Amino acid sequence: MEVTLLVHAADQSFRLIEGARKQAIELLDSAVSLTAETRSIEKEKIREFFRGAQEEKAELQNFISTSLILYGFWVLLSGHFDTFHLTLGVICSLLVAHLSHDLLFANVRVGDIRLVIIRFILYIPWLICQIVSSNIHVALLALNPKMPIEPQILQFSTKLESDISWVVLANSITLTPGTITMDIKEGEFYVHALDKKVAEDLKAGEMEDRVAHVFMEADHIYVQDVLDVARIYGALRKS
Amino acid sequence: MTRSTDDIIIKTVSRVLVPFIQLFALYVIMHGHSSPGGGFQGGVILGASFILLVITYGLDQTKRRMSEKADAIFSSVGLLIYSGIGALCLILGGNYLNYGELSKILPVGLAEARALGILGVEIGVGIAVMAVMFSIFLDVSTGGPPPSGGSSEEDL
Repeated sequence: MEVTLLVHAADQSFRLIEGARKQAIELLDSAVSLTAETRSIEKEKIREFFRGAQEEKAELQNFISTSLILYGFWVLLSGHFDTFHLTLGVICSLLVAHLSHDLLFANVRVGDIRLVIIRFILYIPWLICQIVSSNIHVALLALNPKMPIEPQILQFSTKLESDISWVVLANSITLTPGTITMDIKEGEFYVHALDKKVAEDLKAGEMEDRVAHVFMEADHIYVQDVLDVARIYGALRKS
Repeated sequence: MTRSTDDIIIKTVSRVLVPFIQLFALYVIMHGHSSPGGGFQGGVILGASFILLVITYGLDQTKRRMSEKADAIFSSVGLLIYSGIGALCLILGGNYLNYGELSKILPVGLAEARALGILGVEIGVGIAVMAVMFSIFLDVSTGGPPPSGGSSEEDL
């Protein structure tokens, strides 16, 4: 009798567990389908939410970082380290930051600024190396009695997205001897190249890749995107 | 000339440079008593930063930063600061712009009162010069009276 009861109880508990498992699987399935369905909507919503918050946060952050940078510039210029001049510096940098805080950091994503600055500083030594090597190349061309130059104008469209990265790429191209950026029109670069080698170096696109890396553009996964996705999944798991 | 330029390089570089130009202008004004420069030079640099904005971003964008009304007020305020400090010295019993008299109302010695008086005058001159430079440029570039509704192309 007792054995029968025990078996019965065990059976029942198994059935309960099975039911719970089925329910859990169903829940997971619906969650997955929900994810697929609402992913785009949710993403759009969160993106909009972030955009609004970002704009507010960005303004304050831009103001603070602009005034800090300007204050550093002031101390560099001034050279007086007494209280009077340092206080004047605080007032002046706050004033200028109030006048033009939206200029210095326009089109920069919030939270990326520090990383961009570090990467930009790391980009400079590479650029100097490029300048030196193409300097030697152009000097050899000039010293060669035959002067084997092949002036040409290259046109290529860039994968970079923001104006500041276009400008950095354009100025890097111009700084490198043998190539001069003539114009940028809607993402199309017009570059004058002195000979075939520098043109091919440019076409290989290493400089563009490096600039894209500096400004975290083109195929780069942002930290913010990962956080967005994690947030969506977290919200779905709770409901 | 009062329209925004198409050149992305000029636009971006001037966008990044303008805050530094403005801070340099204020530096020139504030250090006028101890190094080359002063109110006029700093004011011209400050005005030039706004002129650069007009050239690159167009009149409408720049007006949001510095409207013509504010510009007129600034030019008067600058002159008022300058002549006010001068007249204050006159009221306190000295000559016009004799800054030493300011030590009677400021809690500082004679020499510091002179330095502060000069600084105040420099600031006034700087503001006035900036505003007048900008308004002269606006007058020249828009061809006289301020355009209404941004249809200034006809005047050019």
